[in-house]
Amino acid sequence: MSGLGQIPILSIILLSPLLGLAVIQLLPRQRASWLKIAAVAATMVPLALTLWLYADYDRQQGAASYSETYNWVQAPLKMNVGGDWFFSFQYEVGLDGLSLPLLLLTAIVTSTAALAAVHVKKRWKSFFSWFLLLEFGMIGAFIARDVFLFFIFFEITLVAMYFLIGVWGYYNRERAADRFLIYNGIGSAIMLIAFIMLVNTAGFHIVETAMNPQYIYSGSYADILRNLSDPGAYVNLPAESAGGNPFALGETKQWAIFILLLVAFGIKLPVFPFHSWMLKVHQEAPPAVVMIHSGILLKLGAYGLMRFGLFLFPDQAREWASVLAILGVINLLYGAILAFRQQEFKLVLAYSSISHMGIVLIGLAAFNEIGMQGALFQLISHGLISALLFLIVGSLYERTGTTELPQLGGLARSMPFISGVLLAAGLASLGLPGLSGFVGEFLSLLGLFESMRWVTAIAVIGIILTAVYVLRSVLKITFGQQREELSAIRDARFIEALPMVVLLACIVLLGCYPSVLTDTMQLSVGGYMDLLLATRAGG
Amino acid sequence: MLPSYLTMGAILFCIGLYGALAKRNAIIVLLSLELMLNGVNLNLVAFSKYGVIPSLTGQLFSIFTITVAAAEAAIAVAILIALFRARGTVLIDAFNRMRR
Amino acid sequence: MDFFAKIAWIIPLLPLAAFLVLMTLGRGFRRAGAWIGSIGALGAFVLSLLVLSERLKPHAIDYSYNFSWISIGEYTLRIGFEITNLTALMLVVVTLVGLLVNIYSAGYMASDERITVFYGYVSLFTFSMLGLVLSDNLLSFYLFWELVGVCSFLLVGFWYARPAARAAAKKAFIVTRIGDAGLLIAILLLFWNMPGHALDFTSIQSIFGGHGGSFTDGITTVIALLIFLGAVGKSGQFPLHVWLPDAMEGPTPISALIHAATMVAAGVFLVARTFSIFEAAPAAMETVAYVGAFTAIFAAVIALAQNDLKRILAYSTISQLGYMMVALGLGTMTGAIFHLFTHAFFKALLFLAAGSVIHAVHTQDIREMGGIGSRMRVTAWTFAIGGLALAGIPPLSGFWSKDAILTAALEHNPLLFGVGLATAFLTALYMTRLFVLVFLGKSGSKAGEAKESPLVMTIPLIALAVLAAIAGFVELPWNGWLSGWLTDEVIEPHGSVAVIGLSIAAGLLGMLAGWLLYGKGIAGSQPLASRLPRMVKLAERKFYIDELYEMVFVKSLRGLGACLAAFDTYVIGGAVKLAGSAAGAAGKLGLRLQNGQVQTYGVAAVLGVVAIAVVVIGRRMLS
Repeated sequence: MSGLGQIPILSIILLSPLLGLAVIQLLPRQRASWLKIAAVAATMVPLALTLWLYADYDRQQGAASYSETYNWVQAPLKMNVGGDWFFSFQYEVGLDGLSLPLLLLTAIVTSTAALAAVHVKKRWKSFFSWFLLLEFGMIGAFIARDVFLFFIFFEITLVAMYFLIGVWGYYNRERAADRFLIYNGIGSAIMLIAFIMLVNTAGFHIVETAMNPQYIYSGSYADILRNLSDPGAYVNLPAESAGGNPFALGETKQWAIFILLLVAFGIKLPVFPFHSWMLKVHQEAPPAVVMIHSGILLKLGAYGLMRFGLFLFPDQAREWASVLAILGVINLLYGAILAFRQQEFKLVLAYSSISHMGIVLIGLAAFNEIGMQGALFQLISHGLISALLFLIVGSLYERTGTTELPQLGGLARSMPFISGVLLAAGLASLGLPGLSGFVGEFLSLLGLFESMRWVTAIAVIGIILTAVYVLRSVLKITFGQQREELSAIRDARFIEALPMVVLLACIVLLGCYPSVLTDTMQLSVGGYMDLLLATRAGG
Repeated sequence: MLPSYLTMGAILFCIGLYGALAKRNAIIVLLSLELMLNGVNLNLVAFSKYGVIPSLTGQLFSIFTITVAAAEAAIAVAILIALFRARGTVLIDAFNRMRR
Repeated sequence: MDFFAKIAWIIPLLPLAAFLVLMTLGRGFRRAGAWIGSIGALGAFVLSLLVLSERLKPHAIDYSYNFSWISIGEYTLRIGFEITNLTALMLVVVTLVGLLVNIYSAGYMASDERITVFYGYVSLFTFSMLGLVLSDNLLSFYLFWELVGVCSFLLVGFWYARPAARAAAKKAFIVTRIGDAGLLIAILLLFWNMPGHALDFTSIQSIFGGHGGSFTDGITTVIALLIFLGAVGKSGQFPLHVWLPDAMEGPTPISALIHAATMVAAGVFLVARTFSIFEAAPAAMETVAYVGAFTAIFAAVIALAQNDLKRILAYSTISQLGYMMVALGLGTMTGAIFHLFTHAFFKALLFLAAGSVIHAVHTQDIREMGGIGSRMRVTAWTFAIGGLALAGIPPLSGFWSKDAILTAALEHNPLLFGVGLATAFLTALYMTRLFVLVFLGKSGSKAGEAKESPLVMTIPLIALAVLAAIAGFVELPWNGWLSGWLTDEVIEPHGSVAVIGLSIAAGLLGMLAGWLLYGKGIAGSQPLASRLPRMVKLAERKFYIDELYEMVFVKSLRGLGACLAAFDTYVIGGAVKLAGSAAGAAGKLGLRLQNGQVQTYGVAAVLGVVAIAVVVIGRRMLS
């Protein structure tokens, strides 16, 4: 622990982007370089701290090692029953093997995206303000351990993204931003309903004190999880028990909450029919923002699905495992086939994201440790890969003014470095061993194969299709005859090459030595799997 | 006796309501509003005399109402005149600026 | 005793180091490229030789080492390396051919501006191929299997500006990936069915060799067939052979190294490594044999009708790989490995000699060549040795290995023997045609300026020619040293005079026919095309397999894509639009109510009050 218990390290990580935000407010708005340096520096702080945390993470301690809890809102309620009644929402942050890798991913991708923001041409001050607010929201969402805290951070990311897309995007930016906000707004409304239902039932618990018993409606994740998994808790007693039990969460209600959560996070992920908003975002948002969107925010959906959907309602999720698996396969194949058709490279990548998120669902549907690890690994790996790809898209667009495939070609001649990185990223995306994409894909499929052989066999077809569309688009850009008007463009500058190299190095590292990630995730995943197995044994 | 008064009040109120909702001339609408108020006043007075617990409160209250109604009518007419000056009409259809 | 086996993991790392150094240096250091690449290959070769020398002692003990790659709960995925006689042999073959190709390329690629990148890719390939050879389990085998695939892809597409190279590279990767998918499923099946989730070859051998295990015949057959699917993709067997001829768009040294000697043989190596699974599944064995036999004769027929120097050799490679598959299907794993061994040398030789010709005349069309033999003596002679070895003329190496396979075929399956013999005849025929058209006869249109290639290119040719000539002596019909060494058993001599006689006769007849048809020209300048126009056309167009695939797979994928795109736009997009316009319509309705007329609001309020009153009173009256 090395004295970490005293330092609120998570809060420091969380608040450092806000500090950067404050500094940026003090800078003059015309000074682009100052603003950029300040923003990059502000993203470096969480990166450094998270790296240190990752190295220091005490695997044996598990989830509890860094958590912080403060009372945040404690609203007394007037009730006719004796004792003190409260609504209690904590500022409660914590860390486990599920959130730590995602936190690190957030830090890495945001830093590289901040570097990639050299392409931003206007209103730097407000851009970086929103950008840092977005980082604040993402970090918060990953470490929040209270459902309402999570919700608030989740909403912060929506607001920040809305402006980042709507102001700094490409031609149709405002429509894209609107569509983003509407879809995600609906998603988070549904999520809020589910959370309120949860707090009203599973969140209820009684604290015995010397004076009066305290009756608390709590949003704390730990309380909710404990109540749900404890067969003696109020939430699990039948509603008709002695004197009536208003806190009972019957079978129907549990299903309702589970499905609401599935839809809410499914929109974010995105799961097959809810994907159309994401295409617009990929197409219209500025590259630095898409790096974050595709690299992290989609993962937020998967993270929410795991933490709130799967972990809280393991029975429902297990019963729907085949639904999840089939949705995953649909995502995988549907995304791949449509990616094959697109003429716009950004749309190829958008559909490819859908396809890769299908693998996450496949891994989750496996319901064993291998699949769960595979899904998590795929999250991290796809975060890095898509961030890298959109980094390249940004550089490409800056030079050629287009990302339409028919207008590109032969760029390997004038920009060998960027083309090489693009090829490597493409290969990582199609799951080449030695690069990170393979591990997530392989583990997910391996996991699912235990229970659903035929579904997995169909999913393997998706891997062939992935190769088809990735090679088609990447080779279209880099190989072939170079067009006349593209011959004058230059290769990457140092400031562009640096984040590319960093991301690529991470991808190679994870691909060659996945244990660096899987070992960290293992304790949490193993722990949750034990929990899931225990409920199965109990129920 | 009470039902007759109440019926009378209700009839007054309904006539007023109809006028307030259906007439196009703002002056008529104002008059109709007065009619509705008077319907209510009639009720108050009737209850103060023939109610379960007769007391003066009802009559007192109706005095208040009349006062307030007078004040209201004064303000309303003032607004109407201002509107008429601005728009050159007292037809209520013309006053739909709230929509925009 | 097994010192070198223990440090065998260094062997692949040397080319990897070369790759990393070359990638860091970039394009600037042109001369350094060849040196660094060759030194890496040389180091690997020397170490491999030392490993092999250790293995030559009687009863050497297999050495393997592995470590945990991913550990998840009770499951562990391991990777590691293993030294057996088979892997030691393959190590030497790969590093030797790799070294010679490295040296050769210094001349062949000298004028290419990206020579450093070329050497980088070659080194990466050598690393992956060695890793594949050394793997001790299917998982790490699969990792390297994909890596060699990607290296092959990179090198086929090395001249990226050519559209043909781009298409060929893409095709090579995607077609082999279909096979890889099969292998992947096989691995998944094995993982969940093997006791202890072991994937290493030793466990597989002991389980399927009949020491316990819970595999039903059905699953065993499925696993074997899926593994074979992987091999079919990589080794260019029918029906996944289409990528290999196109892969000739790559530089010729690459065709020699990857698409003749090493990578394409990986499929054969895979089947040999997992041979116990096949032995436990007779149906799969038969499939392997028949697919191999069909591929052998099918590709030989196509080779006869092609006019591109390298494509002829490519189809010849496919045909010979088919031969190896036949051997595997007949159960003689050693015969397959023996043929793999000799084929690596003479086919690499043929490709490098062909490269030497192409380097001199700048064309690949054999109709434009002719009469080069007198100007390029070394090339012509070495090519002749390679051709004779391929045609199966004793005492060159190809004869012995082909003989071993034919002997086994005669024992088990006369039909396959007949196919093999016919293929041998065709092989001799097309090789004679090739040699005659390229090196003999009148000077062709482009043959005028041909000069002998520099020493750096001819020395590898001579070295390979020597090997192609003598490599067959490791196993003779009356002395099965190689098979004894590989299987660690005493092998009965299996020679058969009849087979030897028939095999020689087929080879000689083929050569005679070729000489008569193309050398003497007894049947005109287009001997076959004028007699059998349909047949020749069919073979020339490769039996329209590419067109068929284009029709069936590419078109249908495109069609499916179009359907789904329409679905995406109209159904899903339509639903979104519908939701949006529904909200808009609701807004319009509200707007109509909100017309600014206070009276309308009043009416609405009154109606609301009435409605509430009706509900409240109605409920009271009902109850």
